[in-house]
Formats: sequence, structure tokens, C-alpha cells
Amino acid sequence: MTDYAAPRTSRARTPVEVSRLAAQRLGLPAGWWGMLMLIASEGTLMGCFLATYWYLRIRAPHWPPDGIPEPRVVVPMTLAGVLLLTSVPMHLASRAVRAGRLAATRWFLLIALLVQTGYFAYEVDDFGNQLRSFQPARDAYASIYYTLLGADHGHVLIGMLLNVWLLLKLSTGLTMYRLNATVAIAWYWHFVNVLTVVVIGSLTSVHVV
Amino acid sequence: MATIEFPAEQRVDRLERQWQSKPGVLGWLTTTDHKRIGILYFWTTLVLFGIGGTEAMLMRTQLIEPNNHVLGPASYDRVFTLHGITMIFFFIIPMTTGAFGNYLVPLMIGARDMAFPRMNMLSYWVFLGSGIFLYLGLASGNGPNGAWFGFTPLTLRLFDPSRGADFYALALIFNGIASSLTSSNLIVTMFKLRAPGMSFNRLPTFCYAFLAAAFGLLFALPALSADCIYLFLDRNHGTHFFDPSKGGSNLLWQHLFWFFGHPEVYILIVPAFGIATAIIPAFTQRKIVAYPLVAIAELLVVFIGFGVWAHHMFVVGMPTISVVFFAAATAMVVIPSAIQVFSWCMSLITGMPRFRTPLLFIAGFIWMFVNGGLTGIMFVAVPFDQQVHDTYFVIAHFHYIIFGAAVFPIFGGMYYWFPKLTGKLYFERPGQICFWVIFAGTNLLFFPMYIVGLLGMPRQIYTYSSGMGWDAYNAAESAGAYLTALGIVLLFANLVVSYFKGEPAGPDPWNAPTLEWATSSPPPDFNFAVIPTVSSAYPNWDAEDRERDARKLADGVMVLEEGHEQPVSTTVDGRFAEVIEMPHSSPWPLVLGVCIALVFGALVIGHYGIAGIFGVLCLLSLFGWHWKEPQES
Amino acid sequence: MKRRRSGGGLVVLAAVLLLAGCGSQTNTLAPHAPAAKSIDSLWWWVLGGCSFGLAFVTGLLVLAWVRRRSMGPGREPGERAGWIVILTLGIGTMVVGLCALFIVGDVFTIRSTEAPAAAATAMTVRAVGHQWYWEFDYANGRAVTADEMHIPVRTEVLVQVDSADVIHSFWVPELNRKIDAIPGQQNAIGLYADKPGVYRGECLQYCGLQHAHMGFLVFADPPAQYRKWLANQERPARASSAAGRRVFMQGPCSSCHTIRGTPAHGTVGPDLTHLATRTTLAGVVLPNHPGDLREWILHNQKVKPGNRMPDIDLVGRPLKALLAYLDGLK
Repeated sequence: MTDYAAPRTSRARTPVEVSRLAAQRLGLPAGWWGMLMLIASEGTLMGCFLATYWYLRIRAPHWPPDGIPEPRVVVPMTLAGVLLLTSVPMHLASRAVRAGRLAATRWFLLIALLVQTGYFAYEVDDFGNQLRSFQPARDAYASIYYTLLGADHGHVLIGMLLNVWLLLKLSTGLTMYRLNATVAIAWYWHFVNVLTVVVIGSLTSVHVV
Repeated sequence: MATIEFPAEQRVDRLERQWQSKPGVLGWLTTTDHKRIGILYFWTTLVLFGIGGTEAMLMRTQLIEPNNHVLGPASYDRVFTLHGITMIFFFIIPMTTGAFGNYLVPLMIGARDMAFPRMNMLSYWVFLGSGIFLYLGLASGNGPNGAWFGFTPLTLRLFDPSRGADFYALALIFNGIASSLTSSNLIVTMFKLRAPGMSFNRLPTFCYAFLAAAFGLLFALPALSADCIYLFLDRNHGTHFFDPSKGGSNLLWQHLFWFFGHPEVYILIVPAFGIATAIIPAFTQRKIVAYPLVAIAELLVVFIGFGVWAHHMFVVGMPTISVVFFAAATAMVVIPSAIQVFSWCMSLITGMPRFRTPLLFIAGFIWMFVNGGLTGIMFVAVPFDQQVHDTYFVIAHFHYIIFGAAVFPIFGGMYYWFPKLTGKLYFERPGQICFWVIFAGTNLLFFPMYIVGLLGMPRQIYTYSSGMGWDAYNAAESAGAYLTALGIVLLFANLVVSYFKGEPAGPDPWNAPTLEWATSSPPPDFNFAVIPTVSSAYPNWDAEDRERDARKLADGVMVLEEGHEQPVSTTVDGRFAEVIEMPHSSPWPLVLGVCIALVFGALVIGHYGIAGIFGVLCLLSLFGWHWKEPQES
Repeated sequence: MKRRRSGGGLVVLAAVLLLAGCGSQTNTLAPHAPAAKSIDSLWWWVLGGCSFGLAFVTGLLVLAWVRRRSMGPGREPGERAGWIVILTLGIGTMVVGLCALFIVGDVFTIRSTEAPAAAATAMTVRAVGHQWYWEFDYANGRAVTADEMHIPVRTEVLVQVDSADVIHSFWVPELNRKIDAIPGQQNAIGLYADKPGVYRGECLQYCGLQHAHMGFLVFADPPAQYRKWLANQERPARASSAAGRRVFMQGPCSSCHTIRGTPAHGTVGPDLTHLATRTTLAGVVLPNHPGDLREWILHNQKVKPGNRMPDIDLVGRPLKALLAYLDGLK
């Protein structure tokens, strides 16, 4: 028999109410599925860039071609690991918001954002430095290197902007909409963090593979 | 749950007030109603269909005799390039997913709107913007001329110094954004907004088809976007993705393009399969044969279709082992299509078929699809493919499939759902005559192409010499084109006359099984006064359920008239999970759409700083869009 | 109103019309080589099978129409049981057919159409696609000609296919399948002509404005005749009208064309060293007669609009001299 009672989740106004209704409702919200669609689409796009990188690399006799310095390994991989670690505060934020602990949610998001900003600032500087030593118009290696890396950095930037927006929204209270957004943005970051490890891993694997 | 008692009419009044669109042009510009958006898509794609059709007529007029002078090579090359791009990206995809999908999917699943109504409107504006963008390229003397598949090096700066290939690359990325947004919307809508009781195994086959197409678009479009990004970079920033002397590869373009392009052709026809499986039960008055097999087959066709792309590249010189692998994969993808063909035919034979105009178009579609599909099977034999690749044989093959398997069901669907959208019945006899004229015309147009392709006539040539043995066939094809055009004009003329003079249709002139026929014609803004409860895959044939729904109106059960409310269900079982507030009219989709268009405009003329500024405006628009939450408006 | 004609009959009718469509030199169904013949016979079997399939589905549709006529009002829809049998039989037949097609086409026939190993062939020719002509190199570049290739009959010839600019496609329908000419990639195909004759080839990959006019001819000659032809092609240009030679070298011609044995070393247009031995001009667009050659030099943009050669502005004696010179390049 179909049950005709279900919570009107947009009506919840306090963190306690929001948390209660979120626990009560069945299944995952539409907004979460929407984020999954974005991850699927962007993930496929990044997958195409990665596939291009490997396609060109397998066909090349020398990779990187002569004259281009091999990419460093330790610093980039460590930084990718640091970014991956921000999945922890993002996940904790997601759990805190579902428990109705608004202040904790804000703190976890802020911590994540600070680390992500630090990561991004370093990467922008490093990107600029590398551009001084070899340019995308030099050859196919440089073309895909900068496209792949630049696209990854772009996704990190989008994630940071999402975190800023979320913090602004959460500064005035909690609604179901903001709870759904927190959970969805946490998933976005898990996607970006894993993606970054794969991208940096591919680009620096010239030493290993 | 209502604690105050209202009579039924008052509840309906409240629903109307909650859901009605704003009046006038402003209402259309800021609407989020999926029905209005579907209608906007419908009229826009019809205009683009007319443009693409005119391009076809120009080509057939040029080719009616050898060494003709209607179009020179430069013009002809632009015309065939734009014909392919327009028909695929600006007619079939937006007509099926944008018009039919947007209008019908929420109705069929018993919902009041799509999952993301404002994003739905944004996808329309982005689609419209991309069409205007592409044709501004043509109007400014920068019409793309690299064929719809834009192979490098022909589209690189060295061989196309105009901005044609830039318009091509950017227009496809631009258009891809619209299709990705629509696909995401369709998937989430079908996953979450189904009426209570509509578990996944009760989803109409029409919806399965659109689900398959949406997944296909979501995963295929990024490959095209990546390709177009590389093309734009190679042309404008000196990169070397496609430059073999610097480590790049021309085959990179082709692999990525066809990784998108092959699923794309299944995406073109699978929604039409859905239209067919919606029409057949209505006109045979029986359930579709082998419903679970059909549903799975619709998904499988697209899924397996991702693994066969290199069968478009059998002549590029790949190693034999790769070639044979792709031939084998192509053979596999035939099976789910064949299952559907048999299901359709068996449903027709074991039912009580009434061959009204919609079913005539479906019968025609089955025949044309099998015709084109069988020649597709011939390509499994690689040596044969390598003979007829890039000849008119291939043009015949894919036009039998695209015209027969995508356009025929679209025409049939227009007639089938005409009563639902307009509240009028169309005139039957002229409809049937139009079908036969179009059927005769398309066969006269495309069948000789098989022959002339076997006689060696290449694709994409602006003229040919006499003495090749091609003259008579080309003349026949051109005659067929004119006949087809006549039939199409008559088809639309009939619909226009029917709109003004047709008999009233009532909610359900066909006794059809799906939920859109359970509400009035045309549907009210809120679709259903009572959210239907579903207990089978043919809900409109469950008379008891529908009567029970009608009784719920007075009691206020599942009416949800206290706000702009929509029920959300669990993904697999369709259990009622929560009630959410939907966004109502909003100007932000239009604002963001304009900003996106400005970004692309700035990119194509090479002003990256300005593009960056408009990009920031896009971000600000998104910020404005999400400023107020749906329950606050 | 009868449903529609049998789909299978339509196809057979078309096949008959095809046989009547001779006169075409690019008829894939008029093969003159083992490779093309194996594809041709594959085609007829496949056509038979597919015609049967189309006829079967047509029959199902006709049956649906007929059953509609015989049903009175109020009759219940038919039972479902029968469809399982038909579905299994139908899908089963398709699977068997597909397997057969795959095995015959992609295991057996493909062996005769794939590029032969260089060691298995008697000679090699290099075919380079240009916008919009075909360059043919023999004997490691000692002989270079354009748009007309000669091969000895009944000899396995390896053609290495390459491109100087965009992607083209090398296709001689009556001898073998096509292979793309892709810049930066070495492709190859085998040509073997059963009997002497002229076989028409075309470019089959859209390559720009004059893709329509990039035909070429393959002459399969008896071996002695071939050797004579090749020996002539390897020689530098014969002495010919000195006045005309002057017009050629001092005018724009020498900046685009090569005539071996002279200072002309242009690489934009085709090699003209033995122009007078060719039967056609401009990619099988014009016959190689003085009047047509004159027309080409003066008005080629009208004949082949957009091609890389400009209309050459010559009148009177210089023009006559040039034509005499070119006519002497035997």
C-alpha cells in the first residue's frame, strides 16, 4: 500500500528540524543526483584529456620529448596528497550538517577551503613557472600537459568557489536546500581530489612507467 | 496533509494559482514550465529543420544533373557541412530530448515538472544561442566547410584560414552544454520524480528510451568537447594536438570524434524507438510484447554503442586485429535492435492494429529502419565496408536510419500527441496521404543512393562528370527530394488546418496506456490535480486506480496545493519520500544564457579578455540564480 | 490498399538495374582483381541474406495489416505464447547470419584485401595525395608522374599511400578497397590487375574544394609495355621548343611545377616531365588534347574553381610556343 505521508522538507528552518527531516526522508535528494550527473560529465571530459595524454604518450618515441625537463615527482604528488586529505574535512562537514551541527559544519568547510586555497595558490605559481620554461605551442607533449593540468586546476577553482558560496549561505542558517548543497559539494570535492591524484600521477609517472 | 477541508474545485483553484505562468511575453521569457519549454524547443527546432531541409534541397538541385552550376564548390561545401550539423545537433537531438522529452516525460511519470526547472529553461536558451551563433558564422562569411565531422588537417588554420572551423568547434561545445543540461535533467527527473508506486519496472518504455539517450549524451558529448577544444587551441594558440611532426596525430581527432559520433547516432534513434513503443500499444490496444526485453534493449543499444566507434575508421590503416575487434563489437550491437524490431512487429500482429496516421508512420519507420539497419549489418564485413566507405552507399544507409528511424517517428509522434497539446483532433485522411507521399518520396530519394554508391560515387562532391553512369540515379534522387519536401509541407499544413478546424479531442481519444492521457487536453499548468498512484506499467488502463485518484481530490490526499509542490520518490521502488518546493518563474536562466552566449561570441573573435569578463558575469549570474532558495520565492 | 511491395523484390530489381549500369569505370561490382572479386562475391551473398531479412519483416508488417482486416469488433488481442518462439527463431537466425558474415568477411575475405607484405610484392609505387592531384613515384623517385599510374598486369604491386597536406583516400574500385592517405602515416595497399585495361581511381575522403575532381587512372599494361613506359618516365625531359621552354622557365610555371632535367623544381603542382604521355589532365577532368590544355592554362579556375593554379595570362606567340613545348614533353 502506498503511504501518502512524507515530510515537506523545504519547510524546515532550524538545524534541528532540518536534521530530523533529512533522517526521516527516504532515499537521496534530487540535488545529489544532479551533482552525480555533473561529476559523470566532467569526469568523462577529464577522462578524454587523460586518454589523449596516454594515446600521444604511447605513440611517442621519447616522452617528454628532448629539450623538455622531466616533471618533478615528490612535490606535485605530495601536494596532490594534501588536496586529497581535504576530503576528510569535507566528509566531516557532510556528516555534521546531517546531524544538524551547523557550527561544526562551517568550521570543517573553512578548514578545507583554507588548505584548498593554499594548494591552488602554489599550483598557480608553479604553472606560471613552468610556462616560462616550455610553452604549450612547443609540441604535442606541452599541448596536452598544460591542457590536462590546467583543466584540473580549473576544477579545483570551481570547487573553491562552491565552498565560498556554501559558507556564505550557511552563515545565515540551515535549510534542507543548504544541507543538500553541502552533501553534494562534498561529493564534488571527492571527485576533484581523486581526479587530481590521477592527473598528477599520470603526468609525473614518466619516471616510473 | 490538509487539516482544513476544501471542496475539490477550490483545491484546483489553489493549484492553478500556484502553477500558472506569468502572462505575456515576459511569462514566456521567464517560464520554468516544462510544457512551455517543450513548445519553445518544438518551434525553434522546426525552423532549424526547415533550414536544414533547404540545404538538402539546394544540394539535390545542384546534383540533379552533371556539371551543374547552381552551387559552386565553396558554397556546396558549406551547405553540406551545415546540413549535417543542423539536422543532427539542431533538429533531431533538441526535437526529441528537448521538445518531446521535456513536454512528455514529466506527464508520463505523473510529475508536475522536471527535476531542475530553471536549468531546463537555461538549456533552451543555450540551445537557441548556439543555433544563432552557428548561423551568424555563415552570415558573416565564416560558414564552416569541413563536413559535419570536421576531420583535421582540413579544419586546421593552414587549410581553413577563415573563422569557419572556429565557429564549428565553438558551436558544438556551446550546443553540447544545452544537451548535457537536458540529459542531466531527464535522468534525475526519471530517477526521482516518478509518481508513488511507479517502480523502475513500471516506467514506460518511452521513458526508458529517453533515459538511454540521456545517458548516451552525458557520456558521449565530453569527447566531442575535448576534440573541439583541441581544434580551437591548434587553430588559435599554436598547439600541436593534430600535428604529426610535433608528436600529435590526426587520428586523435577521429578517435575522439567517433567515440562521440557513434553513440550519437544511437542517441538520434533511441528516443524515436521510445515514441514507437508509446504509439504501438495505443493503436493495438495491447501491452507491448516483451516489455522487460524492450526496456533493457533500449539501454543496451546505447551502452554497446560506446564500444564500436572505430568502425567509422576501417580505412585509416589500423592494424587488422583492431579492425576485426570493432567489427565483432558492431555485430553485437545489432542484437538489441533486432529484439526491438521483433517486439514491435509481434505487438502489431497480436494486437488489434488500427492503422491511423501515427501507426502508419511507425510501420513506415520499422520498414525504413530495417532497410537501413541491414545495410549497416553489411558493414560488419570489413572488406565490403572498405569498398563503399565514403560513397553514396553510406549516405543511403544512414539516411534510411535517420530519416526512417528518427524522423518518421517524430512525424508520427506529432500526429499522436497533437490532440494532447492542442485539445483538437487532426484530420485523418490527409494525414494518411501525407504519410504515403513522404514514404514514396524518401524511398525514391535514398534508394538509388545505394546503387550509385556501389557504382563508385563519392560523398561530399559538388558535381560529377557525365559518363560515370550516375546521371539517371541522381535525377531520380532529386525528384524524390522534391516529392518528400511536398509531403512534409502537406503534413504541416494538415496540422495547421486541424489546429483551427479540428474536432475537440477530450483527454484521451486513443485509450492510450500512459499517464499523459489521464489529464485534460491540453494539460493544466499543474499537470495533475491529484498526483497519480501507479500500480502497473500501463497506468491509464488501470481504471480503478484512476477513479481512486479522482476521489482523493476532495479529501486533499496527494493534491499538494499548499505551495509549488512536487513529490519525490525513491529511485528504484518509487516509494513516496518527500515533498519539495519547485522554483517558479525566474529571469536568471535567460541572464545566464545571454552571458554564456557572450563568452562564446568573444572567444570566436579572439578577444579572450572580454571572454574572461563575460565568464565572470556567468559566475555572478549563477550566484544571483542561487541567491533565493525555491521555498523563499 | 496493399501494404507495400516486397522489400526483397525491390532489392533484386535494383541489382538488375545495377548490372545494366555499366559504362561506369568505378563499379565495385565489376571487379578485375582477386581482392575486388572476393568482395564482390561476398556482397552478392550478403545482399541475398539481407533481402530475405527485409522481405521477412515486410511480411510481418503485411501480416499485421491483413490481420487487422480479418478481425471483427470486440475480439480479444492474441495470445502471447507464439511470440517467444518467433523471437528466439528470429534472433537465433540473426546471430547465425552475423557469425557467418563475420567469419567469411573478417577472417577469410580480409586476407586478400589487407596490404601485402613488401616481400610478397614484385614492385612498389608511392602514391602521394595533394590538393587536388595524385603524385606517383616510381623507383625511389627516379620517375615521378601525376594522375596516371601504370602497373604491369598480373603483378602484385605494393602502393604506399601518403599525403602532402590533408587526408585523402586512394581508391580503385575495380581492383581493391580504399585506403586513406594520412599525413604523417605510412599506409599501404596491394593492386593486382587480372587483365590489361584502364581502371579509374578516385579520392574518397573529402579534402576541400576540388575533392570532386581528384580522379586518377591506373593502366595495367603487358609487362614489356610497362617496362618501356617506366624507362621513358625515368628519363629527364626531352628537348622541345626552346621558345616555349623559355616561356615556361621565365613565367610563373616553373615556380610550381617540376620538369626533371630543367631548372624547374616547383612542388606545388604536379610533375610535368612527361606530360604529353598522359591521356587526361587535372585529375581526369579534361582529355589531354592541345585545345583542352590551352583551356586549362588560360581558364583553369573555371574548369576546377579553387584549384591552386591561377589562370595564366598568355596570348599569341608565347602561348603557342608554350603549348608546343608542353606537347613535346613525351
